[in-house]
Amino acid sequence: MRLKLDTKVNDIISFGGSLNPSYTNKRDFPIGVHDAIRNIGWLPIYHDENTIQYVDRKVYPDVQVGDYAMDRHFDNYILNGKEVDISNTSNQNPYAKVVEREFRTYDFKLFSNVYLQLKLADGLNFRTSASASYRNRQDEEWTGSKAHRNGIAAMESHYDTDVFTHLTSENLFTYDKAFGKHEISAVAGVAWEKWKTYSEDADGVGYQFDYIRTLNAATTTFVSTGITEESLHALIGRFNYSYSGKYLLSLSARYDGSSRFGADTKYGFFPAASVGWRVTEEDFMKDNELISNLKLRASYGETGNNNGIGYYDAIGRLGAVTAIVDGQAVTGFNPLNLANYDLGWEKSVEQGAGFDIGIVDNRYTLSVDFYKRKSKDLLLDQDIPSVTGFTEATVNIGEVQNSGFEIELGAHLIRKNDLNWNVSVNMSHNKNELIDFAGASGLISYVDSKRPAEYIALEGQPISSFYGYVYEKDIPTEYLKNPYYPIGAKAQDVYVKDLNGDGEIDTDDRAILGSPYPTFVWGVNNSFNYKAFDFSFTVQGSHGAKVRNLDPQYYENQFSSNMDYISSFPDADKVVEKIYTDLCVQDASYVALRSVNLGYTLPKSLASKVGLSKARVYVAGQNLIYLMADGYTSFNPEGITNDDSPLRGGYQVGAAPIPHTVTVGVNLEF
Amino acid sequence: MKNYRSYISILLVLFVFSSCNDFLDLAPVSEIGENGFYQNESELDAGVIAIYDGLQQVPEVEFAVTDLRSDNGRTKTSEGAWAQFENMNVDPTNATVSEYWSYNYNAIFRANKVLENLGNIEDGAKKSQFEGEAKFVRALCHFNLVRNFGGVPVITQIVGPTDEAFFSRNSEAEVYDAIKADLIEAVSLLPGRSEIGEGRATVAAAQTLLAKVYLQLGEYGSAKSLLDAVISNPDYDLMGDYNDVFYVENNKEIIFNIQYINDNANDSQNFSYSMTWAGRAGGLNYPTLDLISLVYPGAVNGTSAVEVDPSTVPDKRFATLFYFEPKANNRYECGKWRTDAASPENGGGNDWIVLRYGDVLLMRAEAIMGGGSSTSDGTAVGDFNKIRTRAGLETVTSITKQMLLDERRIEMAFENYRLADLVRFGEAVNVMTAYATLPTGDAGVSYKFTSDDLLLPIPQREINLYDGLEQNPGY
Repeated sequence: MRLKLDTKVNDIISFGGSLNPSYTNKRDFPIGVHDAIRNIGWLPIYHDENTIQYVDRKVYPDVQVGDYAMDRHFDNYILNGKEVDISNTSNQNPYAKVVEREFRTYDFKLFSNVYLQLKLADGLNFRTSASASYRNRQDEEWTGSKAHRNGIAAMESHYDTDVFTHLTSENLFTYDKAFGKHEISAVAGVAWEKWKTYSEDADGVGYQFDYIRTLNAATTTFVSTGITEESLHALIGRFNYSYSGKYLLSLSARYDGSSRFGADTKYGFFPAASVGWRVTEEDFMKDNELISNLKLRASYGETGNNNGIGYYDAIGRLGAVTAIVDGQAVTGFNPLNLANYDLGWEKSVEQGAGFDIGIVDNRYTLSVDFYKRKSKDLLLDQDIPSVTGFTEATVNIGEVQNSGFEIELGAHLIRKNDLNWNVSVNMSHNKNELIDFAGASGLISYVDSKRPAEYIALEGQPISSFYGYVYEKDIPTEYLKNPYYPIGAKAQDVYVKDLNGDGEIDTDDRAILGSPYPTFVWGVNNSFNYKAFDFSFTVQGSHGAKVRNLDPQYYENQFSSNMDYISSFPDADKVVEKIYTDLCVQDASYVALRSVNLGYTLPKSLASKVGLSKARVYVAGQNLIYLMADGYTSFNPEGITNDDSPLRGGYQVGAAPIPHTVTVGVNLEF
Repeated sequence: MKNYRSYISILLVLFVFSSCNDFLDLAPVSEIGENGFYQNESELDAGVIAIYDGLQQVPEVEFAVTDLRSDNGRTKTSEGAWAQFENMNVDPTNATVSEYWSYNYNAIFRANKVLENLGNIEDGAKKSQFEGEAKFVRALCHFNLVRNFGGVPVITQIVGPTDEAFFSRNSEAEVYDAIKADLIEAVSLLPGRSEIGEGRATVAAAQTLLAKVYLQLGEYGSAKSLLDAVISNPDYDLMGDYNDVFYVENNKEIIFNIQYINDNANDSQNFSYSMTWAGRAGGLNYPTLDLISLVYPGAVNGTSAVEVDPSTVPDKRFATLFYFEPKANNRYECGKWRTDAASPENGGGNDWIVLRYGDVLLMRAEAIMGGGSSTSDGTAVGDFNKIRTRAGLETVTSITKQMLLDERRIEMAFENYRLADLVRFGEAVNVMTAYATLPTGDAGVSYKFTSDDLLLPIPQREINLYDGLEQNPGY
């Protein structure tokens, strides 16, 4: 919902404000998708008279008809006199895992803003504005008595509340004046911002019944609260000049200080400049019949980034810990990090040039931009040897370059009274390259220490590159212990290529397998208007990106010992686990019908009867069609489940499937 | 009007561009900013408590890197990452190995942090105590590392990410020198049991640990004099009932333990749960049939375990050591660390015993035997017999190396000492080679054992981060 008010009191003073509250109540999918699909496919949801006969009564004496069926219920089955296990996993039935849990998020956001504008002199205004945003998000997670294989012992609830407040004050002087052919517009001012987050985590365990989920019914509860704050102070200046509408110049500068950085490195200076030439305003082009608009432009700008680090990483912090002495908990304090007093802004310098061209009265337009952006002093958590007592330290390190182009084509293909058809096409290509990594080039890191599939940060390559072995062929089934069960299981290891030809498979046979960054991204947007109806749809595609998808590890049960190779397997030193190969680095390209929107605007006569200036109803859909690449075997190539570092992108385990949504709505204007 | 306006303009300019330095200096609310801590006794005490908190992580993985690699413990199905220890085929990328390395160095860091800041308080009983506690834990962790990895970096001060001089491995001799230096000082600084809370280091703890180090190095005379002091200390004695040692909180036999409590998010352990059928990978650290049959042959029938009534077993320790669990496919589980917590999965409260009086008695017998093959020395035999009598077994008049090794194997089973004992007695290669070729029923799969397998690999992560770190042979 949005409310907006603008008032002009007199020639000198005007003020206004807006208020924008919203509320959502969302039920979340409570487990990773990989966890749900790894159970054997023929497992019934509930036991019936037939299946109950196969339950192992030694281990599960209390299972009855109507209870959820678990893989393990059917283990230790005597087949031809031999005890056989057929389970893929010891977990609870996946349907129970989802349905017996309820995870909800309640999100209330309120954004408000007021401003006051004073006219100080001819062309000179002063505007002060303040905004406050408040967000209260509650996560409730309930795990019921049948959600987990351990039954009642695993029941638990979490009630987490996060309150975010954000206050800003911006005070700007603006000057707009025209002197003959010269037009000047300038801005100077200061902004202050403060953020505060209050977090409260309340957990309950030891439930014995499903009736009551709140913590008053838990036998043991834990509560913890925490507060973090951050602030920003910025001096802003901007100067725009245009001569005769033909030659354009814009200069700006920001001097930003962030509380996240060290005492002497809080501030960064970020200037920018751009020039433009409206060629079509020149006398020789003014009356050109074909070309209605031609503008050339070039720019240079520096920006700063302070994201990706904690609020207090520049100083050494100590956190509370407890140990047990005399059987009681006592509190101690322990350093949480290695201080970095020189932590400062990550800087990006971007240079760009481009042009806009429009023909036939701007009915057809084309915009092309080339850019090169160098980011220095990246804010990263650098892996460090454990003998320091820590595994990571937050530092400014490295230089990355992103370069490429963006093209946008527009065409008003049909322009008639009743029927209009507009198309716009955009395409872009980006290349990411790690230019410098301060002596740490070739750094190998991984996301999950239990499945350490590797990434490499190598100068000359994208900053995040998948690294590993190249698949050659599968292990023949005669070398597997029990190749045909568990059902659906596959071997953990594969043959890999001997890339350096030395006859041995070792760490020298690893190669760069791709990166999570797409090489080419495009979109096409069509919009039609026919009388009072409007219809638009957008198709978007991305190509070249890869994703490290670890779901096959789970649903192919790659860690079942039955799939291990037998002891007489002759090539044990020529095979490697699949997770270290390019079998799990899959093609993340896609083409999607991102949005479709069909609307009908009520006739003005009808609308004004109810006091509305405009009323429109619409039906919209998102991701109704989504095409994935052949090599991708899970449900969502865009779903990244672990994004702890820019060095390790494109990692997913159990990403939720792409949701297809349909919405219905009204736009009302008063 | 114009003057009025220009007056306001000037005010606005001054207001807008005034700076406010404190606005960007935010101190954390839910944590302490480092400068200004460790300034007085209670703050240094908090730092020492943090050392014990750091130690709590070590037992969570230690059983896997020690007992699973010995002939005492095995996994249920001999598969997966945990079975790498059982099969003596540990991969340098194994996460548990990396955790064991990191946890020990994290505790060493916490100890060094306290030592670095000791100068802020005045000399006195408390200052000596803190120094002793920090040095004791630092020595204990270095001892853990050197026994399992060989020579490791010795860290006796705060080390930053660019202090490369400290990253390379020291020789085993250098590590032991550092450990001995720390423990000798700790012995002189630490208070007695009654002067300090249970769970914190005491003089007897330092003496016992130092004696263990001396035994490891073959310095039997030095070991014996320390052990004499511990044995004559009235604060420690043998418990009458073996079971009570492990199930009575802070009893008189315990010299040093790492404490936990039930069902607590910060101070509970999960190793108890891991050693049961419901734990990870179907349970870890199951007693091997080889061990069970050593205690009571009647409990093993070929390649499977047999449930017996503990009251019929001559060795009274049987009931505590082994717990028959039908749900684990009729196997015996380890019985020493069973938890009664409401949420056992991460809520175990059983304390981990590092040093106890029973161990001290057997250590003194070993010190007196002094590397020989047998002894009939009265004190040594007397110590040995105390353990035997408590176990309900008949006494002896002389002890051989093999008897001592076997008695230690049973008495100290599942306390993470078996592999170290085998190495110290020089029997590791013989015993583990023979064990590796036992029929499939017990040793899981027949695996190849070489002497290289006695040391763990240096974690691959550490080698990736620092080129100067050499890997152990065979990896």
